[in-house]
Amino acid sequence: MTNSNLIAKLNNLKKVNPDQKWLESNRELLLSQVSNSGAESLSIWKVMIINVSSVFKSAAQPAYALGVFIFLLLAGSLFSGPLLAKTKPNDSLYIARIISEKVKLNTTFSSAARNKMEVKFASEHAQDISVILSDPAFNNEANQDRVARLNNSFNEEVKTVKERIGRLSAKGAAVSNNTPAPKNDEVIIADSAKDGQGIQLSVQPLVSATATLATPAGFNLNATSVDLAATSTETEKVEPTKADKIIDEAQALFDSKDYVKASDKLNEAYEIIK
Amino acid sequence: MSINPIQKFKDKQVLSKLKSRDKEAFIKVYDDNVKDIHRFVYFKIGGREEANDLTSMIFLKAWNHIQNKTLEDAKTLRALLYKIARNAIIDYYRETGNKVTASLDDEDNRLEIADEGENPQERLDRTADLELIKSKLPLLKEEYREIIIMKFISDLSLKEIAEISGKNKGNIRVLLHRSLNALRELVEQDVKQNTEQNAKQAEQAGNQDAKL
Repeated sequence: MTNSNLIAKLNNLKKVNPDQKWLESNRELLLSQVSNSGAESLSIWKVMIINVSSVFKSAAQPAYALGVFIFLLLAGSLFSGPLLAKTKPNDSLYIARIISEKVKLNTTFSSAARNKMEVKFASEHAQDISVILSDPAFNNEANQDRVARLNNSFNEEVKTVKERIGRLSAKGAAVSNNTPAPKNDEVIIADSAKDGQGIQLSVQPLVSATATLATPAGFNLNATSVDLAATSTETEKVEPTKADKIIDEAQALFDSKDYVKASDKLNEAYEIIK
Repeated sequence: MSINPIQKFKDKQVLSKLKSRDKEAFIKVYDDNVKDIHRFVYFKIGGREEANDLTSMIFLKAWNHIQNKTLEDAKTLRALLYKIARNAIIDYYRETGNKVTASLDDEDNRLEIADEGENPQERLDRTADLELIKSKLPLLKEEYREIIIMKFISDLSLKEIAEISGKNKGNIRVLLHRSLNALRELVEQDVKQNTEQNAKQAEQAGNQDAKL
């Protein structure tokens, strides 16, 4: 006889059961004994509290540890921002700042907001590099390697800023292209021929701004409104380009080692984008 | 066999309810475990009446232990019940002074054997197997018998058995192996004796036929 045959025979003993009548009578007996010792039915609230506490009790300790770790990591990354923002690229805590920024970027779901945030961070990094390099105590022969590394970092940051601005302006253009062009038939001109004091009612906000002007010819006003719309679209497109130019200027200033002015220019570019 | 999170949650839930003196929870625990506990006690002590009394006492003891917040070290409710059952059986042995009071194959104290859709031949074979095992179990060492009952009849995991008996899993594995070997030897011995006896009877019958 093999062990598996024996185990099969032993497993058959699981089918040995006590008498059904005894089971039922014993159940009643035990219930009455337990009731006499203070057993009761629980209220819904009590049951709910037990259920919630059981969920926490049944979670394994490593799960709690992991939860606490993730919480600390997130909280640290999100709330240590103001403190870490003061760190400079040559500080030991600068890596913490970078991680904190990455967390912020990854927890931002709107792509436009993320692009803006990236522009902000990159321009801040570039400004910080300019500030450090403008310090003669750091920017000297002894720190040549580090200065070279910071120069590279500056170029990288400027490149990032440009890319993000490019994306933002591309999106801005796409939005303005999708805006429906004002239609002439949306402008209602009432009684313009009778006494020369025409009243215009328009669904276009730009036109309604001009509607208050009392002019004898409504047609001219129509034309003006279209021009205004076109001008406003152009303004939206111009801003990123202007920022781009300022960044180029900042790059040129940086290359000519005028770090203070380069930093000012970067600040100016960021203000425009903001 | 590790306990899945849902089972763990249910265990904690029932234990908390029992601590809050919920009688429905107690009845649920009774319904879920009474057959297993009764079977464990029955195969350990051997008598139906004694098994009935002890099982009843075990559930009352479990209720009292939970209310008095003792034996909280048991990780699962099932382990807690088996721990109480084990202690109750030890107490019973101390009181009665003997180990197995009645043979497991006592004709008057036969337990119900559940059978679903079995043909008479299968049932006969299985009953013969059961009777063989049941007759050999009381002959094993107490330690061996207990571990065989817990593993193969009560279907407890090695982890649960280790927790109940206070040994580590490695020891349990070794003990289980030895117990199975010991039982197999007893069963094989019995089979061999029966075969020899049958052969002898056949030979005697042959001789008588020859004389006639």
